[in-house]
Amino acid sequence: MVDAARHPKVDVRTYTEVERVEGFVGNFKVQLREKSRYVIADRCNGCGECAKVCPIEVPNYFDMNLAPRKAIDVPMSQSVPLVYSIDMDACIHCYKCVDACGKLEAIDFSMEDKLVWEDVGSIVVATGYSHFDPSVMPEYGYGRYPNVVTAIEMERLNNSAGPTAGNLIRPSDGANPKRLAIINCVGSRDKRFNPWCSNFCCMYAIKNAILLKQAYPDMDITVYYIDIRTPSKGYEEFYDRARKMDIHFTQGRPSLITEDPETRNLFVHSEDVALGRVTEREYDMVMLNQAAIPQPDADEMSSVLNISQSPGGWFMEYHPKLRPIDTPTDGIFLAGACQGIKDIPASVAQGSAAAARAGRVLHAKEWEIEPVVAVVWEDRCISAKGKKCGLCAKACPYGAIEYEVGKAAHVVTAKCHGCGGCVAECPHNAITQLHFTDAQILAQIHALLAEKPEEKILAFRCNWCSYPGADLAGTSHFEYSANERGLRVMCAARMDADFIYEAFRLGAGAVLYSGCHPQDCHYITGQRVGARRAERLLKAFEKMGMTPGRFRVEWISAAEGDKYARVINEMQATLDSIPKEKLLEEIERLRPQMEKRARRMRETPQVEKALEYSRELETAMTGKEV
Amino acid sequence: MAGDNGNEELRIGVYVCHCGSNIAGVIDPKVVAEYASTLPGVVHATDTLYACADSGQSLIKEDIKKYNLNRVVVAACSVKMHEPTFRAVVAEAGLNPFLMEMANIREQCTWAHGHDPEGALEKAKDLTAAAVAKASFLRPLDMIKVPITKRAMVIGGGVAGINAALDLGDQGIETILVEKQPTIGGVMAQLNKTFPTMDCSI
Ligand SMILES: Cc1cc2nc3c(=O)[nH]c(=O)nc-3n(C[C@H](O)[C@H](O)[C@H](O)COP(=O)(O)OP(=O)(O)OC[C@H]3O[C@@H](n4cnc5c(N)ncnc54)[C@H](O)[C@@H]3O)c2cc1C
Ligand code: SF4
Ligand code: SF4
Ligand code: SF4
Repeated sequence: MVDAARHPKVDVRTYTEVERVEGFVGNFKVQLREKSRYVIADRCNGCGECAKVCPIEVPNYFDMNLAPRKAIDVPMSQSVPLVYSIDMDACIHCYKCVDACGKLEAIDFSMEDKLVWEDVGSIVVATGYSHFDPSVMPEYGYGRYPNVVTAIEMERLNNSAGPTAGNLIRPSDGANPKRLAIINCVGSRDKRFNPWCSNFCCMYAIKNAILLKQAYPDMDITVYYIDIRTPSKGYEEFYDRARKMDIHFTQGRPSLITEDPETRNLFVHSEDVALGRVTEREYDMVMLNQAAIPQPDADEMSSVLNISQSPGGWFMEYHPKLRPIDTPTDGIFLAGACQGIKDIPASVAQGSAAAARAGRVLHAKEWEIEPVVAVVWEDRCISAKGKKCGLCAKACPYGAIEYEVGKAAHVVTAKCHGCGGCVAECPHNAITQLHFTDAQILAQIHALLAEKPEEKILAFRCNWCSYPGADLAGTSHFEYSANERGLRVMCAARMDADFIYEAFRLGAGAVLYSGCHPQDCHYITGQRVGARRAERLLKAFEKMGMTPGRFRVEWISAAEGDKYARVINEMQATLDSIPKEKLLEEIERLRPQMEKRARRMRETPQVEKALEYSRELETAMTGKEV
Repeated sequence: MAGDNGNEELRIGVYVCHCGSNIAGVIDPKVVAEYASTLPGVVHATDTLYACADSGQSLIKEDIKKYNLNRVVVAACSVKMHEPTFRAVVAEAGLNPFLMEMANIREQCTWAHGHDPEGALEKAKDLTAAAVAKASFLRPLDMIKVPITKRAMVIGGGVAGINAALDLGDQGIETILVEKQPTIGGVMAQLNKTFPTMDCSI
């Protein structure tokens, strides 16, 4: 910790939060909120005279609220930096601290939060994890029985730097406990709360049992477990050591804890697998090894940073095996438990790995990004002809389009992230997206629907969520109908209404329109641009009398392989439920309307060529001239 | 016929990967390749055991020269897996990397339709045809080069973040370590001695 504060290249900003992140690899702009401490860091020398005179006590988060701190204080004596701060919600403005601080004049009641922008080339996200609150499990009585504590509370109670200076006492009466039960998997591996294994609790159960046994050799300690998981180097040996120390390990998940209201002793009711029966044993104290869970603000952080989350809320890596440190956003890397629960050795290793990955970017002279940007055909833009429009600029999440009546809209390439929203929104087809041109996408649609289109489910997927979601369905071998025909664009924003009309004009049985959930959108608001369009399409098709379900809109994340498979299977079921003649009749009936709506697209440069090509393709495939 | 590639004649090469038995265990890649050879613009189509392996890569590179290919389609796995690989392969043979298109016939075909080999085969053909169709309209593009601000930010001052910041600092990179609490240290600073070494946590 102090190494970081001392390092000449590391600038530690505590009590600071990330408000906004803009830009892209090599060129991020981050807005930080430096929260007001009401103590001037440069002047505070950490003497603590202020805290001595402060009359107000507040619970200290650092001690899991087991002990108080003063309204002006540090969370712990080894805080880095050793700068005091005032909890303004508790402060009564007696100003005793100001006097105590005296000539140093470090206390400033007029201080305000400061918003600052920082330019950085790369970001490492290491926001860690949080603790499950076992009070939602009434069977264990946490919160009702004072002598039932969580593991993290135990870490403070049995800590020489903690509130009791390491003397382990029962909260109810201050006595040293003689009999302790440690319960594993509290809120972990429990479908009601968190399905996952919290990775390190078996090990810290053993650790705490060993430490307590060393400190209090007479203490009777029992660890209740489902399985003991010790897969890393030296961990099984560590477990062996505990078993040789007369620490009891009982296989069984306790179902209930009751309390004797007089003695406040606890009775743990549990199956004992070795004995093959249910037991009820009395303890002075119980420690609950609460599950590790994502930070409460993980959702918010993921949208600020534009990164995705795995099931459960952990930040998602680019690839679980091959790129476990990278996120799908170039230049942003993950380290530690925020990516998935891991212990200290693994967190440290991942921290170094993230530094190495970030270094790869930061030591480069320049970085290459894909040229999938938007380009305006100036002669088609009606703004150039003096008409009011600007729909493209309105769609752009990055303000990358300069629009002024009388001039053709202009895309600032360096700001364009390539969502394709403007391309699909332009009513005059005056914009294209490189590598995802109308002609390219149209050619794909035609190829995918060349034969028996009425049997096909054409699926538009975005590059960041639903395409990898479909990949995950495959990787997990979730089977779905082979009538699905997928194609990929960068964002739901690019899914032009014309593409959907054209697909139905060609006679597609069903069309899926799928992208990220709004909060996961890789292009800030690109998904919303796509979603609004999809809503309009849904309404239009309903009005036309299309069978519901033939056009479907679903937001599917990269982690939702099961959902992708389910949605496709449901769409197949919809198709199966429509009698073939009725489906063909409906397709014919709607064709003129689709034709009319899709016609505009035909004016787009290269599209005629694409259509000509697809006729050739059809001839090649079916052997007959079309 | 020409796609939108100026006046140049289309010369597309198609490579259908077996991926060992990952693809070939469900469908016959040879059938897909034969089919692809009938598509407009395709001058050469073949199957290959592992397109991404050295042998597969050299095959593509040699063919680009031999058949004078100006577009390459690889029907194999996800673009998330190997798009960068095959872009590099065609670039090494002198083609613009954006003249390569992939068809995902593994994750999004054989792995998802193991129960329906016939359906999977039809789908693999269509996906390959769609990739060929898109390839016909591909244009050479250049990567956009952006400058790099040689400065890093680490968000979260727990043990992982502290270590990342120190390593970045040691690489000579100015690093901002942002922590929302008044002190860095994270959960580790709250712990008693830590396994596996049982040393003090701070
Ligand atoms: C009871 C218990 C005992 C344990 N004992 C051991 C042990 O003995 N050995 C061992 O190897 N592991 C042990 N662990 C596991 C250990 O706590 C973790 O492995 C480790 O803390 C993970 O480090 P981290 O840096 O990823 O996350 P954290 O320690 O959670 O640190 C994350 C930091 O980021 C900050 N932060 C969060 N969000 C933001 C934000 N939005 N902006 C800015 N800052 C933010 C947090 O305030 C925090 O300082 C134990 C865990 C528990 C619960
Ligand atoms: S590490 Fe052990 S105690 Fe923790 S959830 Fe996994 S099995 Fe349960
Ligand atoms: S809307 Fe999307 S594609 Fe268009 S300029 Fe903005 S970022 Fe680029
Ligand atoms: S939406 Fe199209 S026509 Fe309208 S200003 Fe933008 S580019 Fe021009």
